[in-house]
Amino acid sequence: MAKKKNTVRVSTSSESKRIPFAQLPPRDKKTMKSLVGLADGVVQTAERSRPPHLDIPSRSLSNVRFNQSRRIIEMGSGTNRRELFNLSQAKAYMQTLLVSSGCKQLIEQGKTTSLRGLYYMLKHTIEGTKEETFDEQSESDTIIEDSEVALDVLREELHLYAKSAGSIAGPITLVDSGDEIDCSRMGSGGYTIPSICEPEIVQFKQNEAKFILHVEKDTVWRRFNEDKFWISHKCILTHGGGQPPRGVRRLLHRLHHELKLPVYCLLDNDPWGYYIYSVIKQGSINLAYESKRMAIPEAKYLGLRSKDYERCGLSTSVQIKLNESDTKRAKQIAKYPWFEKKPAWQKEIQAMLSNGFKLEVESLISKDISYVTEEYVPARLKDRDFLD
Amino acid sequence: MARMVKSAQFMQFDTGAQRSAAGGSPRLAVQHRRGNDGLRWNQRCPKTRLREWLALSETESTTVGKKRVTAEALATKQRDISVSEFFAKNRHLLGFDNPRKALLTTVKEAVDNSLDACEEAGIVPEIWVHIQLVGDNRFKVGVQDNGPGIVKKQIPLIFGKLLYGSKFHRLRMSRGQQGIGISAAGMYGKLSTGKPVKVVSKTAAKKPAHYYEIEIDTRKNVPEIHNGKGEGEDIPPGDKGLAYMQKNGIEWVAHYPALDGERSREIASGTRVTIELEARYQRGRGSVDEYLFQTAIANPHVTIHYLDPEGHQTDYLRASEQLPREPKEIKPHPYGVELGRLVTMLRDTKESTLAGFLTSSFSRVSGQVARRICETAKLSTRASTKRIGREEADRLYKAIQETKISAPSTDCIVPIGEELVNKGLHQVVPGEFYASATRPPAVYRGNPFQIEVGLAYGGAAALEKVTPEILSELLAQSDARTLKQFLVNTFDGLGNDAAEKIIKEAGFAARQSPSKLKKSEILELHGAMTNVNLADTQSMQVLRYANRVPLQFQPAACAITQAVARMNWRPYGLSQSRGGLPSGPVTLMVHMASVWVPFTSESKEAIASYPEIEKELRLALQAVGRKLGMYLRLRSKVRQEGERRSIFLRYLGEVAQAVSEINGFDRRKLYDRLLQVAKRKTVEADTQLDDRGRRRMDGEEDFGDNVLIVEQSPEDLLASSESNGQAGGSRQLELALDAPASSPAPRRKK
Repeated sequence: MAKKKNTVRVSTSSESKRIPFAQLPPRDKKTMKSLVGLADGVVQTAERSRPPHLDIPSRSLSNVRFNQSRRIIEMGSGTNRRELFNLSQAKAYMQTLLVSSGCKQLIEQGKTTSLRGLYYMLKHTIEGTKEETFDEQSESDTIIEDSEVALDVLREELHLYAKSAGSIAGPITLVDSGDEIDCSRMGSGGYTIPSICEPEIVQFKQNEAKFILHVEKDTVWRRFNEDKFWISHKCILTHGGGQPPRGVRRLLHRLHHELKLPVYCLLDNDPWGYYIYSVIKQGSINLAYESKRMAIPEAKYLGLRSKDYERCGLSTSVQIKLNESDTKRAKQIAKYPWFEKKPAWQKEIQAMLSNGFKLEVESLISKDISYVTEEYVPARLKDRDFLD
Repeated sequence: MARMVKSAQFMQFDTGAQRSAAGGSPRLAVQHRRGNDGLRWNQRCPKTRLREWLALSETESTTVGKKRVTAEALATKQRDISVSEFFAKNRHLLGFDNPRKALLTTVKEAVDNSLDACEEAGIVPEIWVHIQLVGDNRFKVGVQDNGPGIVKKQIPLIFGKLLYGSKFHRLRMSRGQQGIGISAAGMYGKLSTGKPVKVVSKTAAKKPAHYYEIEIDTRKNVPEIHNGKGEGEDIPPGDKGLAYMQKNGIEWVAHYPALDGERSREIASGTRVTIELEARYQRGRGSVDEYLFQTAIANPHVTIHYLDPEGHQTDYLRASEQLPREPKEIKPHPYGVELGRLVTMLRDTKESTLAGFLTSSFSRVSGQVARRICETAKLSTRASTKRIGREEADRLYKAIQETKISAPSTDCIVPIGEELVNKGLHQVVPGEFYASATRPPAVYRGNPFQIEVGLAYGGAAALEKVTPEILSELLAQSDARTLKQFLVNTFDGLGNDAAEKIIKEAGFAARQSPSKLKKSEILELHGAMTNVNLADTQSMQVLRYANRVPLQFQPAACAITQAVARMNWRPYGLSQSRGGLPSGPVTLMVHMASVWVPFTSESKEAIASYPEIEKELRLALQAVGRKLGMYLRLRSKVRQEGERRSIFLRYLGEVAQAVSEINGFDRRKLYDRLLQVAKRKTVEADTQLDDRGRRRMDGEEDFGDNVLIVEQSPEDLLASSESNGQAGGSRQLELALDAPASSPAPRRKK
């Protein structure tokens, strides 16, 4: 087989630009120590002629626990052992170490890259084979999340970020990487929420808002922005483009805790909408280790409700029939511990199932273009008619 | 005419029954309807039947009808039946039912005769089979051997007289039995083309050869010689003779094929018979090709040079120089003799006393045993054999069954032997694993027999050897209506599933007609046939033999096929659907050697089920099954471990690189360390392979006796993993796996 020369490795191309360990910021020093610790572990086990392995905290439903008092999802102590000398795990083990070495290089050079960037950085043909280290980005994404929990560091501490998604508008001024951002003057598109919203990057300078309205998607968000809802109601308007990415959740968390702003969510009346709310409120199963930095247990679900079809007098044509996976997912969600003991939510899910259809927020537009901003949301806010 | 022949038979029986009814011994009369060995007429082999019928018509037809007028009238017509007329109307009884089978039967009779002749003379047989298309549906079949030759005056009798031979009246293991086959083939040739049989025979290098053109005078059943004014021609030895033969168009292979760097030896003696006949040549199941292929497996001491009508030369080279032991002739065992036979024997014996008759006519009957039989039968040991009546015979028969007589001696049977079965299979069937089992001799109804089974695993299916040219010929010859039918009928070991898979792969409609394919479509089909992995769908190929002669027809009726299908092969690592043959790349050869092989029907193509035979078949199949199971388990384990290691090795380099980038540890050093761990973790692969190597060297096999393993190259073993990771690691891996990779060199050349 013709031996393909490997893609150029980052280390060889930019060795000169390495920042000496002593000069690294303290946060990076800590991350670096965990990375080196991981590598030393491999050497030590190999020296003792033992098969190397990694213990990676398990990121599955079986290893999360709903903390009743803190009302967030927390990660349990369960771990999955990932062994080099196990057929099904060998490749994942190799990938984990590749990700670690990639992040180490990023830190050393004081640079950050996107998840996709790291994927390309590490992707190459394994010497002497036709096999790629990573076939798809989804592979490296999972491994990165594994590395976060295994090293007990956050993604941003690995100098990685996800692609930005979600916008913010409202009477608030932020400082992002030293630049002052007035979110009331961001035009029709709003300010794109960066994927890393840690205090070192984003600071809050001035705020006049009284609460936060988080909507599911861009179209609804634009409706509110165009109608200047955030002016009339003195609020911050955000959306997360569906399932909100970590940046959006982190920003909401900080706005809620640091500025004491209540969070109301306007989401579709379907299992996926319910789960978005659940993720904002309790944290996600997959990123349970991040819950303490992201979950907002006080967040409220404003709509849409199953009863809105009748309450708002919507036409039959806006109904979307529930399919099999909807029903299955709804039943699954109803059984999550954090929904299980809430009669109101059980009633809500049951109502949707007995309706046999789901409703999108956009369906309110069938009443009137600005029905949602002028009547629906104000009425809910006035009646304090929320699901908790 | 056919009707007449039939009615003549019936008349004899009817009158016989009437006569004996009148004579007060109906029981005996019934025996007349049976053959000498007590089998019913229609169960018996056609040749025996013919022979007995001929004998009866000679001796008894004159007595028939003495008492009845109507019978007398009929008797006048009965005399007119000649052998040729009988044969012409009953050619199917002798295997000439259709042109296709006629070709096979002709080759088969000639080859069987040649093999028997060579073996009896102690010559390692080498056979030439030449089939030539000479006109529309006309073929010239020439079969030559390097046997002892035939003395001049015997040639016309052997080839020009039905029922002339040495094998009929003895109880001995041999291929042919009646001495009817080759002359019948000659007669068929004469009937269908009018050409005489041509025979060349030579008894020694320095002696002249004899050349005859013979045909049977079918009325008198005597040979009629055409050439040399009825005396045949003598051909002088040496080059002069060769020139003479060339000049007169006499076919003869004068030299063995030249070995590398040697002058080819002259064939010192031998016989060549050439018959021209109307026939049809077709490959596939039941073909001449298949017969020769199977013959080569069961006769590893034989070399066959085969030139088919399309000019393809196939050579089956011998795997052994060792001739099988000469089988001994035995007397019948008392247990195997039925009442009717007993009566006949009593009538024919030369002994005057009963005890003398018993001891001289049967095996395993000593004076003491004879006395005990007589006591049980309440007969005197000195009773005259001529005066034993029906009732006494009956008592005698029962007494024999009740008396304990030791089993017949079994040295009259010559099995192929486990080692030679393996060699024969390996020579002809490509594969990676061969195992065989020869059961100790056993006895059914007083007839000794022996079962042996050989198994080849891993061979490519028949259809993988087919070239596009042969495929298009096969397609043109086929009369199948659909492509699927064509595939299933033409190729052995190809089931419905596999055929569907191939058709799907080639992208044809399900009911595509095989005769209407275009050239490009044939290529597509050929591609699909060679590409589709049929290891799973391929069904086991079962080759059946009786006394080293392949049985090519009626597989379903045969005890062998039934025993194979009834056995549960799953524990031995093969998949099998309920009640069917197991699937997998397996060729199984099952041989029954016996002085008397019980066939289910006159066509001599299927072995009858006797409990003793079934039991021996089962035990033999289980024996090879166990060996196969062990091999398959070991193989899959070694393969798994090898794969495992190659996967680990593949990633070790990356891991070492990543770690050294993080903490600066020496990459090479870490890699070596990890490699050591990897080797320890997959130590199984090494041990097993070492074990196997050692076992093979010591010659003590864990699989049981007589197993042949063809080493697979490491690439084959690790077929699924494309490469073995880092260079250093893979080298070591290969070393571990690298037993001398003798590829299973197919010694068949086309």
